[in-house]
Amino acid sequence: MKNNIIILGGGQAGIYAAREIRQNDSKSNIKILGEENLLPYERPPLSKDYLLDKKNEEDLYFHSSDVLKNENIEFENISINKVDFENKKLSAKNYNVYSYDSLLISTGSENKKLSLDNNLMNDVYYLRNLEEAKKIKEIVSNKNKITIIGGGFIGLEIASSLSQLQKKVIVIEIGNQLMGRIIPKKIADLVQNTHIEHGNEIILNKQIEKITKKNGIYEILLNDNSLIETDFIIAGIGSTPAVKLFENTNLKLDNGIVTNQFCETSIKDVYAAGDISNFYHPLYERSMRLESYQHAQNHGICAGKNIAGIKTEYTSIPWMWSDQFNLNLQLTGICDDYDEIIERGNDINNGVIYFFLKNNKIRGACGVGIVGKIGRDIRITSKLIEKNTIVDKQILSDQNQKLNKLIQR
Amino acid sequence: MSEENWIEVGSTDSIEEEDLIRFDHQDKTFCVYRLTDGFYATDGICTHEAVHLEDGLVMDDEIECPMHQGIFNIKSGEALSPPACEDLKTYPVKVDNDKIFIKIG
Repeated sequence: MKNNIIILGGGQAGIYAAREIRQNDSKSNIKILGEENLLPYERPPLSKDYLLDKKNEEDLYFHSSDVLKNENIEFENISINKVDFENKKLSAKNYNVYSYDSLLISTGSENKKLSLDNNLMNDVYYLRNLEEAKKIKEIVSNKNKITIIGGGFIGLEIASSLSQLQKKVIVIEIGNQLMGRIIPKKIADLVQNTHIEHGNEIILNKQIEKITKKNGIYEILLNDNSLIETDFIIAGIGSTPAVKLFENTNLKLDNGIVTNQFCETSIKDVYAAGDISNFYHPLYERSMRLESYQHAQNHGICAGKNIAGIKTEYTSIPWMWSDQFNLNLQLTGICDDYDEIIERGNDINNGVIYFFLKNNKIRGACGVGIVGKIGRDIRITSKLIEKNTIVDKQILSDQNQKLNKLIQR
Repeated sequence: MSEENWIEVGSTDSIEEEDLIRFDHQDKTFCVYRLTDGFYATDGICTHEAVHLEDGLVMDDEIECPMHQGIFNIKSGEALSPPACEDLKTYPVKVDNDKIFIKIG
């Protein structure tokens, strides 16, 4: 049967869903509605290789327009401002109306903003999309001292890139360690040391009281009354699911759009995937919302299968990475629900991994090392989590023993 | 191709089954794999970002990059999973008297 399938949101989840639907359904109309006038592109390089000029815009696209044409997937740059779930219609600002039989919502997340005096609102920059990355790249080229507010992954990746561009970088973080509580303190400290070794200044435990601008220079007043002078400010203080459009509808929202393990929302024929979805994970037996490359892709694919009528549970083990200087940090599984922690390795050259166990099974792991050093062990860990394996802790803690011994065949 | 293109990598027992070794020759890096049905060789650097695949995981016929989990088929070099999208170059391998040779160039 031929259906109208609309994918609202032209990011990674959306494009992977579209292609998956087409693989299983050659007849239906598939249309992606994207707010950016760009084909779906990869975001991870924006804070790294794109700022460093190692990748340009053309390198970022997942697929060329030819691929979409060949697979008969339409892409339209449009901003939707009203959703009528009852009549299965979306309305755009230009009064266009789009009818659907099945709808996938993959509108992602948006940056949290600092609350600032109105006259400085446009002076602080954020990085989520290509346009913002372009602007930042252009402006920093003639700035020297740059302050980053927020010591999370995005802030630190930008700090790493700007340092490599010979900028003087200051990172201000409100918490008592970098990258939030989920990252083991030792790993946060190793990452912090690397930043300091490269000349970045890291300020922890400080809140911003006030930002003022004098003769083109910003003054940031911290809660200990210290004052930082800076040429340019970038903030990365977290994100929220982009749900505004659905706030006065029947769609069930709770930290994003609530979905089950099949990417189905509370409304029939409406699915959600990627950053926006607070989904039920059957293996962890709880709901979670993830913001990562791997999740956006796999969740999009899973939604695509379900929309095409192939009932498929989403059971991917969460995984994400962050690259800063020559370090590669990886997280797998869930690291906030455990009764035991086991450490493997103790130096950055060979990598350090913390495993979080519950009832002798790994629930999650977090590691950091010089590029490439922890990847294999983290990948094996994902498999051990997936297979719910009871692990030999002695092997886990001994870096001289290979972890693939633990995989049951 | 002349006989000189076959370069000795090492002995067959230098690689465990379902594992790989890195092999550097002149200014290039290769990975040589031992799978259940024989030996294979590919370029040693991921096509996505410059990282050595020697630290990656070999599972069945696939090598997975340790940095961003791009996956390649070891036998064909085909990029199977993003962020890898460019195929990995493969090289012929032969075993002679328990020694592994790869054909470069």
